Amino acid sequence: MRALALTVIALSTILAPAIAAAQDAAELRRQIEQLQRQLQSVTERLQRLEAQPAPPAAQPVPPAPGVPAPAPGAAVAPPPSSTLSAADLAQPRQPFSLYQQRGSGHLLFDIGIAGDFVGNITQRNVERAGGGTFAGQENRFFPREVELSFFGQVDPYASAVVRIEAGEEERGQETAVNLAEAYLTLLTLPFGTQARLGQMRNRFGYSNEIHEHDLQWIDRPNVMRNFLGPEGLQEKGMELTLVPDLPFYIEALAGIFNGDNETAFGRGTLQHPLVTGRLRTFFELGLEHGLQLGMSVASGQTDDRNRSTILGWEWRYKYRPDGWLHPLITLTGEALYSMRKADVGVDLDGDGAIDQVDKRQRNHSGWYTGLEIQPFRRWAGGVRYDWSQYPVNPGWEWAIEPYVTFWPSEFLRFRLAWKHTDRSTQTRDAFNLNGASARNVDELLFQASFILGAHPAHPF
Amino acid sequence: MISTLRGLLALALVALSVSTAAGADKIRVVTTIPDLKALTEEVGGKLVDVDALARGTQNAHELEIRPSLMLKLRRADILIENGLDLDSWADVAVQGANNPNIVRGAPGRIDVSRGVQVLEVPSTRVDRSMGDVHPLGNPHYSLDPGTAPIVTQNIVDALARVAPDRRAELERNRQSFLARLDEAMTRWTRAMEPLKGAKVVVYHPQWIYLLNRFGLVQAATLEDRPGIPASPAHVTRIIRQMRDEQIKVLIVEPWNDLKLANRVAQEAGAKAVVLAPLVGGVKGADSYIGAIDHNVNALVTAMK
Repeated sequence: MRALALTVIALSTILAPAIAAAQDAAELRRQIEQLQRQLQSVTERLQRLEAQPAPPAAQPVPPAPGVPAPAPGAAVAPPPSSTLSAADLAQPRQPFSLYQQRGSGHLLFDIGIAGDFVGNITQRNVERAGGGTFAGQENRFFPREVELSFFGQVDPYASAVVRIEAGEEERGQETAVNLAEAYLTLLTLPFGTQARLGQMRNRFGYSNEIHEHDLQWIDRPNVMRNFLGPEGLQEKGMELTLVPDLPFYIEALAGIFNGDNETAFGRGTLQHPLVTGRLRTFFELGLEHGLQLGMSVASGQTDDRNRSTILGWEWRYKYRPDGWLHPLITLTGEALYSMRKADVGVDLDGDGAIDQVDKRQRNHSGWYTGLEIQPFRRWAGGVRYDWSQYPVNPGWEWAIEPYVTFWPSEFLRFRLAWKHTDRSTQTRDAFNLNGASARNVDELLFQASFILGAHPAHPF
Repeated sequence: MISTLRGLLALALVALSVSTAAGADKIRVVTTIPDLKALTEEVGGKLVDVDALARGTQNAHELEIRPSLMLKLRRADILIENGLDLDSWADVAVQGANNPNIVRGAPGRIDVSRGVQVLEVPSTRVDRSMGDVHPLGNPHYSLDPGTAPIVTQNIVDALARVAPDRRAELERNRQSFLARLDEAMTRWTRAMEPLKGAKVVVYHPQWIYLLNRFGLVQAATLEDRPGIPASPAHVTRIIRQMRDEQIKVLIVEPWNDLKLANRVAQEAGAKAVVLAPLVGGVKGADSYIGAIDHNVNALVTAMK
């Protein structure tokens, strides 16, 4: 028994240090691992800090306007990589600063480039007659619009936009460079008003304001091209908007312009200006549905001094299920009604020569509506139907254009469409260049668009 | 016709007077994201009437600019922005609101990122081949409750510019909120302590502030690059990495492809966890502390 006790004591004496050593080793390993983790964390942080550009010079701290801010809750730990002390946090700071986040090397305005290339394949007779959607550019792929944009604040009271665009306007011609837009917006006017001055795309209806590369379709709707020209209404002048302080949204717009647009007006003088107006409202139908309605008017004189007035109506509905990154359904449409006087030559004696010029009233109209379904973030499909008369000439046309859009990313887009246009028999005196006819037109349209740099968010 | 016009004018005047009277004594604040709305309500208390442009279930990167947002901004005394290019779309809404109080550079336009230690600030040349990168750094700092003292200080400063005689009350509100946040922080830190050093995969790289706060490690992103959908090869790589490194959690935002996240997690033997990227982003995340509570609890439960 005594021997057993001695043995136990001896074994304990021998093994105790070993067990303790093993425990120490485990503890040491744990501590080393912890230190390694800490070291790795510090190293990563150091690398991050070293890689950062030098911070801009600290702004002067204004004197405390009221009671000094006490330090925040002491037990709320600062961010792991924070270098701010509690005293720093307690200092009142200037809460705003123009572009204070932009470090050195940043310009005080944004620059963006939008490239828009389109192509079409159609019948040979349509090409000869120059009767395609892109008249004179049938069966070609070309840069329709490459746009360089600058936009930003001028000062605390105004912002400005300058857009320069280049595009191939005629087959085989040099690429033309134009000033597409250049305007300033006075942002701090009283009573809910704002003014825009310069050269701009007029806010007339829904689609006129939208640039080619941002359109929902490859081409502008027929009615817009027929009544406002292939480029739409772009004028030099001034627009004033009023958003009254009401529980519902309504925007009223009034504008005065030279009236340079040759398709609809063309007088081009402030002595007889083009006057525009628009009323726009919006209904939020629950969280997922939105409906925008508007009506517009533009009234001026044509280059032969006849009054021309165009009324417009617009509608746009979107259904965007809650949480979706894109709308599922978009329905868009516009209608125009044009009232203008036109000079018509009259042969009184039947000798084939015009004896007098009469002024005749021409009230013509047109509309389009388009439906787009976007079940996936990167894919959308839709169809647009157009029906339009011509502002002065007799006849009408209708067209249908199904299309599919693919966005590999937010800044790159491809679109493919097929468009069938059918023109009435009264249009036989038009779309008939070179002895050809373009009454029935089938076109395969394609488009590639990209954005480099900054691009403002799209409105509804 | 004249009587109809007169009727419409009377209706508009009544509507105007009702809307003006509704919040006459309060500072009218609009925030771009609901996290800032929640923080402003905590700080402003009864002094403020706050609305947010984005909802918690909407991706604040890609907000649709509806005229209804312009209506919210029309009467605002203050617009509080997250900054760091997360909510630069607010410029378009402001332009349509015709409200000089909140145009860029005005005293009522506040960027509360000022003073926040911004993470993931690019240190090399960036372009969009890297995806939808934020050149000023990761803007999702509100996910880290540790930034709340700075953000709320900025909010107090902003509100005190409009109501300088109420600064003391605003400060009291702020301190009261920070004390509650402090208690919650102790609870969150204790709950997350066992998870320190654990690796997670995120769908979109917006969780770094939350992960850093509690010592978790972002091992990979399911998106190929920010905002660029994952290619099949990338998905395969992520699954392999999650298996190899025994990563147990894939964090996903409610608006991203939950089906894909679930499939990847399932194949990797992990769990896809929907966290609240913003206040109101998921059920139960109705306040700032509630949203962090939800995120911490969801992570702790998933990693058990």
